[in-house]
Amino acid sequence: MRPRLYLDLVRRESRGARGRMVFFAICLAVGVAAVVSVAGMSASLDQGIRGQARQLLAADLAISGRQPLPPETGERVTAAGAIDRVDLRETVTVVAAPPGPDGAPGPSQLVEVKAVGVRAGDDEPGAGYPFYGELRLRPDRPLAALLDAGSAVVAPELLRRLDLEVGDELRVGGEAFRVAGTVLGEPDNLRVGFAVGPRMFLSLDGLVRAGLVQQGSRVIYRTLVRMPEATTAPELAAAVEELRGELAPTWRVESWREAQPALRQGVRRVDRFLALVALLSLLVGGIGVAQTVRAWLASRLDAIAVLKCLGVRPREVLALYLGQTALLGLAGSLLGMVAGVAVQVALPHLFPDLIPVELVHPFQPTALARGLVLGLGVAVLFSVPPLVTALRVPPARVLRSDAQPLPLARGIYAAAGAALAAGVVAMATLQSRSLALGLAFAGSLVAAAALLALAGWLLIRAVGRLRDGGAGHQEGPRSRRALYLRHGLAALARPGSSTLSAVVALGLGTLVVLAMSLVERHLVSQLDADVPADAPSVFLVDVQPEQWPGVRRLLDDNGAEAVDSVPVVMARISAIDGQGLADLAEEEGLDGGPAADGGANDGDADDGDSDRRWALTREQRLTYMDELPEDNEVVAGTLWADPERAEISVEEDFAGDLGVGLGSVLAFDVQGVPLELTVTSLRSVDWGTFGINFFFVVEPGVLDAAPQQRLAAVRLAPEATQRVQDQLAAEYPNVTLIQIRQILEKIIAVLQRISLAVRFLGGFTVLAGIAILAGAVSASAARRGREVALLKTLGFTRAGVAAVFSVEYAALGLVAGAIGALGGGALAWAVLTGPMELEWSWFPAPFFAALAGMTVLAVAGGLAASAGALRRRPIEVLRREV
Amino acid sequence: MPQNTPGPDPSKTAPAPTPATPPRPAVRLSGLTRRLPSGDRVLTIVDDVSLTIADGEFVAVLGPSGSGKSTLLALMAGLDRPSAGSVEIDGEEIQDLSEDRLALLRREKVGFVFQSFQLLGNLTARENVLLPLELARAAEPGRRADEMLAAVGLAERGHHYPSQLSGGEQQRVALARAFAPRPPILLADEPTGNLDSATGGRVLDTLSDLKGRLGTTLVLVTHDPAVAERADRRIHLRDGRVERIEGGPAGAPGPA
Repeated sequence: MRPRLYLDLVRRESRGARGRMVFFAICLAVGVAAVVSVAGMSASLDQGIRGQARQLLAADLAISGRQPLPPETGERVTAAGAIDRVDLRETVTVVAAPPGPDGAPGPSQLVEVKAVGVRAGDDEPGAGYPFYGELRLRPDRPLAALLDAGSAVVAPELLRRLDLEVGDELRVGGEAFRVAGTVLGEPDNLRVGFAVGPRMFLSLDGLVRAGLVQQGSRVIYRTLVRMPEATTAPELAAAVEELRGELAPTWRVESWREAQPALRQGVRRVDRFLALVALLSLLVGGIGVAQTVRAWLASRLDAIAVLKCLGVRPREVLALYLGQTALLGLAGSLLGMVAGVAVQVALPHLFPDLIPVELVHPFQPTALARGLVLGLGVAVLFSVPPLVTALRVPPARVLRSDAQPLPLARGIYAAAGAALAAGVVAMATLQSRSLALGLAFAGSLVAAAALLALAGWLLIRAVGRLRDGGAGHQEGPRSRRALYLRHGLAALARPGSSTLSAVVALGLGTLVVLAMSLVERHLVSQLDADVPADAPSVFLVDVQPEQWPGVRRLLDDNGAEAVDSVPVVMARISAIDGQGLADLAEEEGLDGGPAADGGANDGDADDGDSDRRWALTREQRLTYMDELPEDNEVVAGTLWADPERAEISVEEDFAGDLGVGLGSVLAFDVQGVPLELTVTSLRSVDWGTFGINFFFVVEPGVLDAAPQQRLAAVRLAPEATQRVQDQLAAEYPNVTLIQIRQILEKIIAVLQRISLAVRFLGGFTVLAGIAILAGAVSASAARRGREVALLKTLGFTRAGVAAVFSVEYAALGLVAGAIGALGGGALAWAVLTGPMELEWSWFPAPFFAALAGMTVLAVAGGLAASAGALRRRPIEVLRREV
Repeated sequence: MPQNTPGPDPSKTAPAPTPATPPRPAVRLSGLTRRLPSGDRVLTIVDDVSLTIADGEFVAVLGPSGSGKSTLLALMAGLDRPSAGSVEIDGEEIQDLSEDRLALLRREKVGFVFQSFQLLGNLTARENVLLPLELARAAEPGRRADEMLAAVGLAERGHHYPSQLSGGEQQRVALARAFAPRPPILLADEPTGNLDSATGGRVLDTLSDLKGRLGTTLVLVTHDPAVAERADRRIHLRDGRVERIEGGPAGAPGPA
């Protein structure tokens, strides 16, 4: 067949079925919109990060680590081409307002400190920190002009909490600082919404004066470097490589051209998860596509027979209808692409917490292309199995409508099924960027759909039975309500009613939304309420050993319970079994750093490596004790049994990350002093107790001489917590009090954002399910029209007929809601009690919401699609029957 | 894709021509039998029919309903497959051809007219006529479609959809469609069965006229003796068997 004729035929064949095909397009468009909006959001974020990479780093190149940079770093940076550099220190501390007139401690607040090296001359605009991006300050002067050893610039929020104003004095580490201004915006702060406290800028001199940098304090040291404006990308990459080669692997060197690889990787991880949820709604739409095509084809059997009679070959008939579905797929995909863009535009306004408006660039070509490809793929793949019927249409049908269908080549259904399965796996792989994940997703989806279909079928049959055994058969006058009920249930259970696919689709949507909200509720309640009653509520860090008795007394005076405190010695691993850190790093390929351009495929393949890198290079906290606390259990070896060697006990999972076992020798650098320890036991730790626990516990006696601090965990009454913080800030200003509750709230907030996104996308699956239901209802419009006419002739009012239909749709919604709730509950239970190791508890509300929601949606969608049939007058339909 | 027979198209590499006389018959049926399972029994719809139809001949097939007329027609066109025996169209045995090959055979050699018209409802009259021309890659399909519509007296109604035409008009469009690609053989299944006698008469006139002009071999199934009168030969079927044959040129072979 010539292409032009083929296209003509495709165009002409589309004439008759436009109304019905609307559902085809809608089923597809819903899923495409979900896919496009996820891919678009993720691409927007990536583009935003790349586009502002220089501002986000505030420099061309940055070096950061947990210890002060070696003194020769300055020369090295200059040798690498730097024209300017600025040193930063970041830490966390508690600041306080000055004591009141009565001597009572002023209010205190945990803050995130950023200390900036300012020099004379930096008060020129554009000089010093930040090299790129805008630091918005009030008064509007350069930071260097506001900061000196005695002043601080703070977030307005801190002033509100401490009840201070610009010009007032506040205490940092017990020293007085004048508030010289407020900071409204900071270019290189990526933890918007996740910060543990408001921002405070100090000068480096001020930081020293406050005494916040002591042995073992948690400080991030950062050096920002500016390169000449003419520096090319290869030159910058070469400078990064050079510095990475010269510095120990504990240092992180990054350039703005790498554009925040860790952050973007995080975005990609969330993206691959959400992309699969979006794909689910598209695949559910595929069920609707298959159903629409089947109904459409059933109405075209005569035409197909005539075409075959005229000499159109079977494969040409198949191609003709495939072309037709591709055309519709194109229309549906385009519609979905438009909707996807609209969602991206609307989303930041609907959920301002979820996505900042300025990050949205809704026209992402790759996202739109992805939607188009997946939409067309689903349209074609899901059409093929029903279209195979076209091959079977006997041309003899033109003479006898009961002509036998043609035999099919064996395996053609199997081939169509295999193509569909392969397509689903390919799409899931594309969305998750992982074949393993793609296979797992496709497998679970097929299993879930099959289970839901089976459960739906059984339930529909059971519901159908209800009408026989139920109220309908009572003797005596039947109420009209019972009549509606009986007819509605009978309609649902009618043989050949094509509602099962709608049930499966709605069930899958319910499953996703419900499972996510159950997991969210469990996690939140677990983090929120289920913190063990005897768990500590605050940690005190950086307590100097000589301060401990006084701090202890202060705590006791405030009714602290379960006071626990251990010594902490900060150290770094320098070698394992005689192999130096540099060698270990090289062996693991750790010194290469992230690729200059983390393309789309660098996924999580290196997770194991980065776990080990983190384990090897982090600042290690060592403690020592005679006996282990109750939440620790020795799982291998024996504790402190070897009189010959200095011993260390390692937490088992961490030992795995480090790659050490019993007998391994760990060499530590304890703030300049080398120390070798032999692993003689491995422990398991129950982290859920929130007690003080360490990866490393050292034999008592070994660390006695090392510089150390104490870490304390105590339980305080909620009303006592702020008072303790205020008193500590006044008397022991170097001590930082961290409230576990506040940390948990941050975690909960993150969880809730992800959950909101998942439930939002799950809503698309429900929407696709409603479209399928509407499609099924509209496909049976002729039958329903006759039914309405018949019922009306029998004396039903229009409202009565609507009631009968409502019962049918409500029952369908209930069945879908029930199996979805069952499935969602089972999935949430499996995830919670399995990998998350949480206890299952019963939240009835989401289940009832699912049932009620599905019922309402199904009735609304079903009635909307039957509006045409409901308007039919008896006579016109019956006349047509003749 | 099923039933895909590779290799050269045998209808184009025609079999070795049989020595000059007599001319090759248009249709030759030998021992043609069609059985259908019906419930737990097997019905024999067409029972051992052998028949030769000469090129250009007009044959009417008569018989009461259920005598197997339509099935015989379907078997001749490869719409249905025989349980036994063979069908030869223009010298080619077709009973074992794939659906694909059969479709090509119909495209090139066999036209159809049905009792229920069977126009494609979503195509206009002109597009219905155009379709077989386009399928056969005829030259100037548009002009030929217009000619055919004019020949059946519907030149002005080409842009109408079948639902906008009367039954007689629909059947005349069907005739135009069937004759348009000039098939050597035309099969008609009670073409006037759904029409009143006056309209039916006009359709038959058109049919005869086109057949005469184009020299088409015509096999027409009917139970109307008046219609059958126009044929060269009348083949009477009963219970799937050839009961008797009337008229026709001498020497036309009867049942073997």
